[in-house]
Amino acid sequence: MSAHPAGRVLHAPAAALAGAGATAAVVGWLTTVDHKRIGILYGASAFVFFLLGGVEALVIRLQLAVPNNTVVSAHAYNALFTMHGTTMIFLAVMPFNAMFFNYMVPLLIGARDVAFPRLNALSFWIFLAGGLLLNASLLAGTPPDVGWFGYANLTSKHYAPGLGVDFWIVSLQILGVSSMIAAVNFIVTILNMRAPGMTMMRMPVFVWMSLVVQFLIALAFPPITVGLIFLMFDRFFGTHFYDVAAGADLHLWQHLFWIFGHPEVYILILPAFGIVSEVLPTFARKPLFGAPVVIYSGVLIGFFGFGVWSHHMFAAGMGPVADAAFSIATMLIAIPTGVKIFNWLATLWGGSIRPTSALHFALGLVGLFTIGGLSGVMHASPPVDLQQTDSYFVVAHLHYVLIGGSLFGLFAGIYYWWPKMTGRLLGEGLGRLNFWLMFAGFNLAFFPQHYLGVLGMPRRIYTYRPDLGWNGANLASTIGAFVIGVAVLVFMVNAWRSLRRGAPAPADPWDGRTLEWRTSSPPPVHDFDAVPPVYGRDSFWREKHGPRRPLTVAVTPAGGPAAHAALHLPAPSRWPVMVALGMLIAAVGALTHVALVVIGILWTIWAIIRFALEHHRTPEHADQTGGLGLDHRKMAMWVFLGSECFFFGTLVATYLAYKGRSVVGPAPHEILNIPVTSVSTFDLLMSSLLMVLALAAVQRGDRRQARLWLFGTAFFGLIFLGFQAYEFTEFVHAGFTLQRNLFGSTFFVLTGLHGTHVAIGVLWLLSLWVLDLRGRLGAADAVKVEIAGLYWHFVDVVWIAIFTLVYLIP
Amino acid sequence: MPSDHARGTLGDAKAAVDVRTTSTIGLALSLGLGGCAWDAPMSTVAARSDVAREILHVYAIITWIVVGIALVVGIALAWVVVRFRSRPGAPGMPAQIRGHTLLEISWTIAPAIVLLVIAIPTIQVIFRTQAAPPRDALQVRVLGHQWWWEFRYPALEVVTANELHVPAGRPVALTLDGPDVIHSFWVPMLGGKRDVVPGRQNRLTFTAETAGEYRGQCAEFCGVSHANMAMRVVVDAPDAFARWVAAQKAEPGEPAPGPAADGKAIFARSACVGCHTIRGVSSGALGPDLTTFGSRRTLAAGILPITVETVTAWLKNPPALKPDAKMPALGLTDEQARAVATYLIGLK
Repeated sequence: MSAHPAGRVLHAPAAALAGAGATAAVVGWLTTVDHKRIGILYGASAFVFFLLGGVEALVIRLQLAVPNNTVVSAHAYNALFTMHGTTMIFLAVMPFNAMFFNYMVPLLIGARDVAFPRLNALSFWIFLAGGLLLNASLLAGTPPDVGWFGYANLTSKHYAPGLGVDFWIVSLQILGVSSMIAAVNFIVTILNMRAPGMTMMRMPVFVWMSLVVQFLIALAFPPITVGLIFLMFDRFFGTHFYDVAAGADLHLWQHLFWIFGHPEVYILILPAFGIVSEVLPTFARKPLFGAPVVIYSGVLIGFFGFGVWSHHMFAAGMGPVADAAFSIATMLIAIPTGVKIFNWLATLWGGSIRPTSALHFALGLVGLFTIGGLSGVMHASPPVDLQQTDSYFVVAHLHYVLIGGSLFGLFAGIYYWWPKMTGRLLGEGLGRLNFWLMFAGFNLAFFPQHYLGVLGMPRRIYTYRPDLGWNGANLASTIGAFVIGVAVLVFMVNAWRSLRRGAPAPADPWDGRTLEWRTSSPPPVHDFDAVPPVYGRDSFWREKHGPRRPLTVAVTPAGGPAAHAALHLPAPSRWPVMVALGMLIAAVGALTHVALVVIGILWTIWAIIRFALEHHRTPEHADQTGGLGLDHRKMAMWVFLGSECFFFGTLVATYLAYKGRSVVGPAPHEILNIPVTSVSTFDLLMSSLLMVLALAAVQRGDRRQARLWLFGTAFFGLIFLGFQAYEFTEFVHAGFTLQRNLFGSTFFVLTGLHGTHVAIGVLWLLSLWVLDLRGRLGAADAVKVEIAGLYWHFVDVVWIAIFTLVYLIP
Repeated sequence: MPSDHARGTLGDAKAAVDVRTTSTIGLALSLGLGGCAWDAPMSTVAARSDVAREILHVYAIITWIVVGIALVVGIALAWVVVRFRSRPGAPGMPAQIRGHTLLEISWTIAPAIVLLVIAIPTIQVIFRTQAAPPRDALQVRVLGHQWWWEFRYPALEVVTANELHVPAGRPVALTLDGPDVIHSFWVPMLGGKRDVVPGRQNRLTFTAETAGEYRGQCAEFCGVSHANMAMRVVVDAPDAFARWVAAQKAEPGEPAPGPAADGKAIFARSACVGCHTIRGVSSGALGPDLTTFGSRRTLAAGILPITVETVTAWLKNPPALKPDAKMPALGLTDEQARAVATYLIGLK
């Protein structure tokens, strides 16, 4: 049976987990797997963190309002700008984006939910854990104070001895896990769950931008994960990744951070571009001009976004060739960005423009992002950048693109989709006041900062002298910041009034173009009564106003209550919260006591096993083949392995970059035992063969052989780990440890993380073996073994690369 | 590099260009908000060196282009929104135009051409300003500390802190390094910034053109007192520079009897000697060299002018003036601090 949304069989059980009233409501939210509720959870959390980050900004601006000010101490100020940046990026803009990914993407593609609803919930709870942990540092009195991009070696234990940086590292790692899981989920959803007839090029632009963003997340987070692992190991275990005296290169942190950091800014802005690409056509009553070009531009921006990271390092001394190369690459990216702006203008040209609040914010983005993008072009030239970087000029640039771009886009989305999500309309009068206050306040706050940069004011300074010409612009900027605050208050009033007694919203208040307007406001729990027909790009508009492209499947009748009762809906689950809780406990343990780490890890493993087995016997979950003919879980594994390529690639690249730089011995050729490692390599390769046999046995229903080969694979994996344990023990006895030299740091972390992957694989295979022992692994479960096999073969291939580059090549 | 003979006329021409470029930038940037002092101490558009001038040249080109594009797009946006506003009673639906291939090609190629105009001088200036310094350049080692600047002239055997003297008209080759964290050396009027990265020797070469004093400040967040890490660069005419070098290398004379002599005695028997060098008196290496402290105009990396009052206040409690300063309060009485201050100010 396919996982086609118009399925049959069981109606999902209600949240049968608690008593009546308020408790039931709370439990309902804690166990929800409904993408709409998860979207609201993201949005509400993001808004709270946004307010927190905003307060931090206002205190910063108060301190800088006049020279030599004493509102906060230097220590407090440095923590404020660190927390403000980290909060706004990871806890405000990204989860606001996630609110729209979650709520809207399934509706926009005509699906009833995402590919993995429980993983979706898991992403949210892990995000919340990370956000709470980061802000717990404020309560603990030790917030991080090293800047949101924490350059090594200021972040070393020596120069930042307190818990602040540790809070920062652990929180970011948790937030990274959340984003990664969501990325896999949405890639599979968008590729595999589109309604029949919705080809890729017929997808709304917002969905395209979301897809590009998820790929960016999947591939950009691994490098920062590795960079943070290096920092964590330096701080906790005495490794030398950022230890200059041991031969390290401090540029490593910057490269790893910005290989993540630059795609991150596209992660932040592309959803806003997608929103504008929906809002402008709707309120101009014209299609998006050049929609395919806008789509291709977004893809190109995402792709090339991986090639420009060192434009953040023009002052770092990389040399003229690197400077020139990254300068050209950065300028090239301006082209697809400019193309989008022109296409948006052409969309408006000749239209019949209705000046709703949503449109105001979208227009704001077009104008303000143009300014931000142009100041970015100035930064793309290293000679100019050498004056502008690390000054208030770049602060102005980044706020023009992040507030003028991302935030204005998000507010456009909020005003646009609020009726759909809440069933009520926001006030247009208050909406326009919101916009104009925000627009005026924002420009007053940040345009003068261009001048401050030109007049040489460095960034991240808690105070400044009065005789440098910076006074007036700083005061203006502070006033503007408070006007932004008032604008946000106006929005909150608007939202409150709307929720309390706003006018009820019809299904299609804007004469919309896309599928979400085809269902009620808010949608029923099952999103669509019947799978929506797809008549082309802007399908709903074509349905209403023509021209309609031929349908690929016949329109299914909406059916009555009986049809709804036959839908399979994802059941609520307590395991996402439990897994996230285990991770939070382990994270808190990392900052306090190792016992909590152990408890947390055990808790997490237990919760993951329960999570994995929760629907093992649910018939609707047996076949998850999607629109591309591929099982959701296989597609998810492939995406995950793609990110793992970047993970191990970063580790190997660091190993190679640091090769030969150790200040003391031993060197690789003096300590590595190639003959013995060749045996363990052969063993691991053979285990892949056994894995192939195991899968074949499961697929043909031969349970005995399946058990034999599954256990065999795990056993060979254990042998490999045994060899590794032997090798590590020999090395430690010979005095070669993690802390010994740079080679020790890179070798043990690389092979240790690989060994951890093997160990996880072994546990996975043994669980499948136990399932088979209990008679619960049939031919219908072959795909579960198949994805374990994909993972296992991948870990093998990585080992071949490691063995070659670390052991064999001198 | 131009010869001494040519430099006179070239210098005049360059000065003329500088004034023009500066006012061009000023005009371009003043749109909307006028009245800024473009020659403020940290101005990035008041070029006083060859590198700064090269940068300003590219800066001017890019700024004009960028402002022009912003105006075009902004005006187009405003016009479109007003012109195509929906009017009540206007007939149904606007023409549903989906695209126009020629238009797409044009507005892909046009930005590419504009970027080419920006890229060519950019690449040229990158390579020109990062060329190896000439053999006769004055070599200076810059060491960035938390939170002060050390300057060492190996060929001249001069060591000083927080105040960099260079001769006008002669290339200066800075080598940047540091014993602690990443800092960034930035004197806007003399050029762009370059990071001080421990373990790497970054280079910055420039030729200052006119005598004068310029302000610099650390431009890479380096800890609690990052905001308090300024510096002064004094560009001397060649003979004034020679005099300065001689004064730096001379043995400090005996201080005048009275507070200065008392100050020296207090200094010599206090913890000061563990961190500071005063030639002939102490050889500490953790803090700034104080041999010619009195010849400087500011103290504690440019955060205060040097007067008896400010130096006394500093000596009594450095972290009060510079949060987390590595120099501790030494428990000096008011009178003792004053005496030491008088001594230090006399070290010229």
